[in-house]
Amino acid sequence: MIEISNLRLVFPDGTDLFRGMNLSIQKGEVISIIGPSGSGKSTLLRCINALENPTQGQIFINGKDILDRKANKPAMRRKIGMVFQQFRMFHNLDVLGNVTIGLIRLLDMTPADAEKKAMEYLRMVGLSGKQHAMSSQLSGGEKQRVEIARCLAMEPEVILFDEPTSALDQMMETEVIRVIQDLAKQGMTMVIVTHALEFARSVSTRVLFMNDGVITEDGTPDQIFEHPKHTLTRLFIRDRMSLIWKVNNKDYDLYKINAEIEFYCKKHDFGKKYFTLELITEELLTHFLPFTGPINFRIFVDESKQLAVEVEQENYDQPIIDSPTADEISLMILQGLCRTLTETQEGNNRLISLVVGDPNE
Amino acid sequence: MEVTITQTEQSMTAKLVGRLDTPSSQEVSQKLEPLMENADKELILDCTEMSYISSSGLRILLTLRKQAAAKGGKVVILNINDEIRQVFMMTGFLNLFEIKNA
Repeated sequence: MIEISNLRLVFPDGTDLFRGMNLSIQKGEVISIIGPSGSGKSTLLRCINALENPTQGQIFINGKDILDRKANKPAMRRKIGMVFQQFRMFHNLDVLGNVTIGLIRLLDMTPADAEKKAMEYLRMVGLSGKQHAMSSQLSGGEKQRVEIARCLAMEPEVILFDEPTSALDQMMETEVIRVIQDLAKQGMTMVIVTHALEFARSVSTRVLFMNDGVITEDGTPDQIFEHPKHTLTRLFIRDRMSLIWKVNNKDYDLYKINAEIEFYCKKHDFGKKYFTLELITEELLTHFLPFTGPINFRIFVDESKQLAVEVEQENYDQPIIDSPTADEISLMILQGLCRTLTETQEGNNRLISLVVGDPNE
Repeated sequence: MEVTITQTEQSMTAKLVGRLDTPSSQEVSQKLEPLMENADKELILDCTEMSYISSSGLRILLTLRKQAAAKGGKVVILNINDEIRQVFMMTGFLNLFEIKNA
């Protein structure tokens, strides 16, 4: 349904994006585009919606080139819905007015018909009771759902989402993600630029990894998240799925660290594993680490799908866990909580690696 | 951590609510002083609402046990959750204390 051929966009500052990109999007596909900031993901969506003027190439929507100068862009754009990161509600209109305005002005519907259709889509996104609310009375998640309802009411053939949840807190993010997941189940074709990797993994039929203006990897969520071919993809996913923090001195805030661990475990559905991770962190900080420099913590799921903790003590070259002065009770706890516990020297730094086990056990 | 102490002729009970970790350990230690002073009795630690324990907390229990052993009393621990039970198991505390679960 969308065919991108030989696409290239060169900006006046010399930034060269897509460099001859070819991409085919089939009806019913849910494609997530992931990758570092500035890699051209959002610009690609803007090209598909004819909001950019590429230097070369063609973008066919159902066989018609949207970049063709003679193309009826407004008519073609109606087939493509776009939901942006920032909510674009009209502040002088209520929720219903925001959804009906496009139907009345662009599709020439009567106000009565437009309202009927708008209500249908507001119900779909769970906002049927809020049709008369003004923008100021809505949460960020609700505004984003109005945006989705407005987009759906135009009955597009494909919806492009540009970071739809990045301006939302976690609860509101969940509201919006549920709506997008429902749309995916109904077979809506969607292209989603997102930094929320768990969401991309759960909702997509296909994932594209973009780096420096080009798609470097294209595959199923399992291929991209479990067996990425390229080191860059692997490192990007690893870092994004990790909880990383740094402790500079003994004035660390254990409450804050614990809150982050708990949030991370909830986000990844790791059940009560936060207890184990908090205990490991506390024992290391209070009874083992010598604070000879910054300490870097990382919690992640390793290649064998095991929950793991890596702790790097900078500027230290002596055994930490195996130290003769190690606290006996703390050591028993660490050994009891971890399947494996190893310590290595990495240059000037001491690296402790602990494998906790299956995160869902 | 919240500590509430109640007393009968033969026993003294401390109800511990929340986390027994390094930041709370000094305060909990102070709040448990009445138990240390009555270590000839049965000292009951009601852990029904204790959610977490680290080695700092275990050390307080150990001190209490030593006091009780020296003065002829004993420490009974009530209702620990599964995670805390695991910590007790891996450190051998399960064998050091009388643990009762309701």
